Amino acid sequence: MSLQLIRSFIANIFLSPFAFLRIILLRLRKGFTYTSEYTMPPPKFYHDDEAWKDVEPLPQDDGGMHPLAAIAYTEEYSEAMGYLRAVMASNEFSERVLGLTEHIISMNPAHYTVWLYRAKTISELGKPLQDEIEWLNPTALKHLKNYQIWHHRQTIIDALGSPEGEAEFVSQMLEKDEKNYHVWSYRQWLVKRFDLFDNLEELQWTESMIDADVRNNSAWNHRYYLVIGGREGHAPSEEVTKREIEYTKEAIRKASQNQSPWNYLKGILRAAQLPKSTIKSFATEFADLEAPDDVYSSHALDLLADIYAEEENNKESAEKALDLLATRYDPIRANYWNYRKGLLSQSEVAA
Amino acid sequence: MSLVSGPGRAGVGNMPAEMQLFVDKHVRYIQSLDTRKDELEYWLTEHLRLNGLYWGLTALHLLGHPDALPRNEILDFLCSCLHDNGGFGAAPGHDAHMLYTVSAVQILATLDAFGEFEERVKDGRQKVGKFIADLQDSETGTFAGDEWGERDTRFLYGALNALSLMGLLDLVDVAKAVQHVHSCANFDGGYGTSPGAESHSGQVFTCVGALTIAGRLDLVDQERLGAWLSERQLKNGGLNGRPEKQEDVCYSWWVMSSMAMLGKLHWIDGEKLTQFILQCQDPELGGLADRPGDMVDVFHTVFGIAGLSLLKYPGLEEVDPIYCMPRSVTRRCLGK
Ligand SMILES: [Zn+2]
Repeated sequence: MSLQLIRSFIANIFLSPFAFLRIILLRLRKGFTYTSEYTMPPPKFYHDDEAWKDVEPLPQDDGGMHPLAAIAYTEEYSEAMGYLRAVMASNEFSERVLGLTEHIISMNPAHYTVWLYRAKTISELGKPLQDEIEWLNPTALKHLKNYQIWHHRQTIIDALGSPEGEAEFVSQMLEKDEKNYHVWSYRQWLVKRFDLFDNLEELQWTESMIDADVRNNSAWNHRYYLVIGGREGHAPSEEVTKREIEYTKEAIRKASQNQSPWNYLKGILRAAQLPKSTIKSFATEFADLEAPDDVYSSHALDLLADIYAEEENNKESAEKALDLLATRYDPIRANYWNYRKGLLSQSEVAA
Repeated sequence: MSLVSGPGRAGVGNMPAEMQLFVDKHVRYIQSLDTRKDELEYWLTEHLRLNGLYWGLTALHLLGHPDALPRNEILDFLCSCLHDNGGFGAAPGHDAHMLYTVSAVQILATLDAFGEFEERVKDGRQKVGKFIADLQDSETGTFAGDEWGERDTRFLYGALNALSLMGLLDLVDVAKAVQHVHSCANFDGGYGTSPGAESHSGQVFTCVGALTIAGRLDLVDQERLGAWLSERQLKNGGLNGRPEKQEDVCYSWWVMSSMAMLGKLHWIDGEKLTQFILQCQDPELGGLADRPGDMVDVFHTVFGIAGLSLLKYPGLEEVDPIYCMPRSVTRRCLGK
């Protein structure tokens, strides 16, 4: 059954890992066929290949739906899949199977069964894992949004037991798409698997990513993971807390209407068990209730509203900040800001 | 015009042109999807076929055309994807995987076909339940997608979704699963694919959905998460999945359903979002795209329509924010 599904979900929904399909389709429309951005290799067929003459390809079984519908997808892909079904049915693990999986992956890397069978084949043949990584590198660069590749890579690096060269490769991937969720998740896995939390280079690299794009939420998240999140709930030392607060303040000064560092700053304060008022004077640099026309950051106003609400007898200021948000600086979320205002009077009643 | 005041069909005919949902066009679009086998993309998306069936069927039900696809053919196809181990593959000949198994269970529930499934497959539900339960990691409580072992909160959510629809939640360690979800909570209030992974609206949906099914929403920092979710709305009314990313119709579903489960849907501007979703329709050939002007697909079609249902767009069937299925169906399966 069905469907001209193009991107995303379920196998990858959220991360729109099937975005590559969209790219394929766009290329098709432009008159290309799949994958390579450069020159198209000639199609590869198996039926007249000496090395495959002992294999009878298995036909596609479409499950009985529309048995009469003409199956007219490209002959090359169709034939290769027929041979894959045949070798899987006979549990063949061999060099030629590796070649076949490579061929199918180059046409359709989201076909998860192919990856699974490739991993099995490598393990059955006892192939050098380093070779597989070398083969994977250009493949991953070609198919940025594909997540099967990352899972495959993780399995192999885990078995190899060394992260050597991986940091460079991740950086190379992020140059192409600096917020790629799979790549960042993989980087986190490397940090955890090889205990790189106190590796100074890792922190410096994160900093360089934030420097390159101060709005990259993935980079901020990675920093949090390094400094606090991955450390099993240990509160940051006074020194680390201070360093992080100063670092984040600098980033906010570069772009004050930027959610990521504000969230990060609040996260650091919470982890260090410091009150929000710690950064009150900093926040007023961007939003001063006395100058309501010159608000440079709705996030600063938001934070100030919380700080004022906690102060004695300053509900009025909190209300004013929330009003500014609801009416001028973030009106699309007026209901949320009004809800926060409602909480103010509730706590008054309670007091 | 108030969008939250519905439901009822009265408004449909009188809608201003830019607020019109082209129901018949969308129905025909979904019906046409299976007749496009001469196109390469049909075959390149084979690994999504069972999901696609669930998306199309759900969209049709929400549009009020539950019989627009042939029921028996769907069941035939679905059974042809079933493996001996109780899992479903995306299409015949594809390996069994959690995601397709969940779609299969959702389809069976939507078609009210568990009885027929048992007739075709002896102890069918128990078998499927066992396949899902076996994918739980007994140490961490999370779930893998297949024997290959990739783990992700999506699979955990899928497991609880399907098992609860079949009344088989007791096959797994729900408390451990809940613990795992809780460990994926981030400093910004959101959730990621695994502990420490960046917050992402899609993962928020799966985590909040899992906790809702388990009856453990008390573990969620509801204020902070609600605020983070409402921050996903951009000036054009659309919602994004992470800070500083582009809006996209499918996030209408993941963000809004999460907010609905938290009872905070009113924190975003429903009217603006409705307009944004409606702009993503293809008014001639039907279907919805991720954003105005892009190519349509069934994935964005169902999540756009489900989003409109949450916004109480007149004439649509009510959707269940936890399951992304018609509320009437989940009421029948869950008895509540
Ligand atoms: Zn989307």
